Amino acid sequence: MPLIEVSNLVKVYPGGIRAVDDITFTVDRGEVFGFLGPNGAGKTTTIRILVTLLAPTSGTAVVDGIDVTVAPEEVRKRVGYAAQFIGVDDDLTARENLVLQGRLHGLSKTEARRRGDDLLEILQLTAAADRRAGTFSGGMKRRLDLGQALSHDPELLFLDEPTIGLDPPTRRALWVYLRELNARGVTIFLTTQYLEEADALAGRLAIIDEGVIVIEGTPQALKDDLGGDAITVTLAPGDGSQVERVAELIGQYSDAGAARTYDGAVRVFTRDAASRLADVVRTLDSAGIHVARLEVSEPTLDDVFLRHTGGKMRVEEVKPRSRMMFTRKPR
Amino acid sequence: MIRTFRESSILWGRLMRKMVRVKLLLFFALFQPLLFLLLFSQVFDRLDQLPGFAYDSYLQFLVPSIIALTALNSAFQSGIGMVTDIEDGLLDKFLIAPIRRSSILLGKVMADATRMALQALIIVGVSLIMGARFETGVLGVLMMIVLAACFGIAWAGLSNVIALRTGNGELTMMIGILITFPVLFLSTSFMPSALLPSWLDIVATFNPITYIVEAVRALVNTGWDWNAIGKAFGVTAGLAVVTFTAATAAFRKVIS
Repeated sequence: MPLIEVSNLVKVYPGGIRAVDDITFTVDRGEVFGFLGPNGAGKTTTIRILVTLLAPTSGTAVVDGIDVTVAPEEVRKRVGYAAQFIGVDDDLTARENLVLQGRLHGLSKTEARRRGDDLLEILQLTAAADRRAGTFSGGMKRRLDLGQALSHDPELLFLDEPTIGLDPPTRRALWVYLRELNARGVTIFLTTQYLEEADALAGRLAIIDEGVIVIEGTPQALKDDLGGDAITVTLAPGDGSQVERVAELIGQYSDAGAARTYDGAVRVFTRDAASRLADVVRTLDSAGIHVARLEVSEPTLDDVFLRHTGGKMRVEEVKPRSRMMFTRKPR
Repeated sequence: MIRTFRESSILWGRLMRKMVRVKLLLFFALFQPLLFLLLFSQVFDRLDQLPGFAYDSYLQFLVPSIIALTALNSAFQSGIGMVTDIEDGLLDKFLIAPIRRSSILLGKVMADATRMALQALIIVGVSLIMGARFETGVLGVLMMIVLAACFGIAWAGLSNVIALRTGNGELTMMIGILITFPVLFLSTSFMPSALLPSWLDIVATFNPITYIVEAVRALVNTGWDWNAIGKAFGVTAGLAVVTFTAATAAFRKVIS
């Protein structure tokens, strides 16, 4: 039985915004499942429904065999959740924050203290354990927040954009820790808008866009699905206006739909890059096009993403209605 | 029941820790009422010479008003704290824990009551030093503190409604001040009923503060006036029902 089972889930906010529009997916025990999508795609809405903070409009979400709308408290006992916005009490110390969460999750005082000490150790916060969280750096707060989500040793962890706002070294350190956690049997459901993060962590992922899951699979399968290697033609500066023409010319060599155009570059995916490369060069040469760079590479998750989301990163955010009245402090 | 008590005690503990931790906030929470006590008692000191003023001194008359004023101010701190918790993502942390929703509110109410009782106690202490005497003794003081805390809680319900509906701490504070002052002055807080203009005297009878102040005033000056105490608790209970029904509805709306 999958640990998470979501069927035909829909969330319509008052005002008619369909933040989640009929999504279905499952997550197995022990997986790291990535939910990848631009801002406003419906990632946070999905996660908030799964952790019982938001009621779905229709459809079902079942966690560990429990319907989130039927027995939310049972679900809460089993899951840890670190929201996109850090929720630590600045007036309390790191230790006090962890003990508080442990106690709220039903641990006794002694248990909560012991667990708190363990977490401080794991998250390398022991030296700062008795400092007020208000004095912490962004990275330390993020780790403390993660610690709070782990205070009751949950078997399932929901992380909503866990590395947003972190510097690269801290982000990588967090990845290492999340992998360790997963190796110890914790199932992780994470949302991210960073492709490299999904690539680095997720064993399987779904790309969500405008409330709809556009594709699902392992990162490798999704890349393979693009049809082999990518040939990228970068035009000489000043020839940017030629991209459409180039796309038309070399589109015939693509094994996966039309050529994709970028700012001053065109990319096709092909199963036989070596011989196609010669064709591309010949075609462009006879058309009199100046090429600045020609490159063969493996497809990236970036390509997968662009292909399935139509290439546009939307910036407008869909926020849960009830939270809209609160503008949260950026951290 | 035991479970709700355990959960709300944990959350009460957090708020108490915060209260003690933020030293300046604690200082001002305790200092502000004393400032009012000092200023009002000095400025209006000669009022006791007015014909028809039936109290030994203006201080004797004023202490209950300062206790009520403090409860009102303290109540608005409650709503502001709620907004802060929401903004800081802490409410989400409590909602995701397997605890009852009601425990979150109850823990808050308990912390508010503790703070208000402490404030009332300090006012009593300082007014004793200033020369006030309390007719009903220790038990009377205890009753005053209970009354002040209960009334403060009822009023805190209102501050939470405003806080949850506006979602804005600053706005809550401003609305709080705007409500608190008319409510105080349109009562018998600063002038005995007999000396108020007649229209104001009528308005005052519809003001819940009047009943709290009168009950405490009796405890300070004349003795156990069970009629006044009963009315005060009755008014408080009625007010609490209204404000907490509205606060619970606003809370539900925010967390759904």
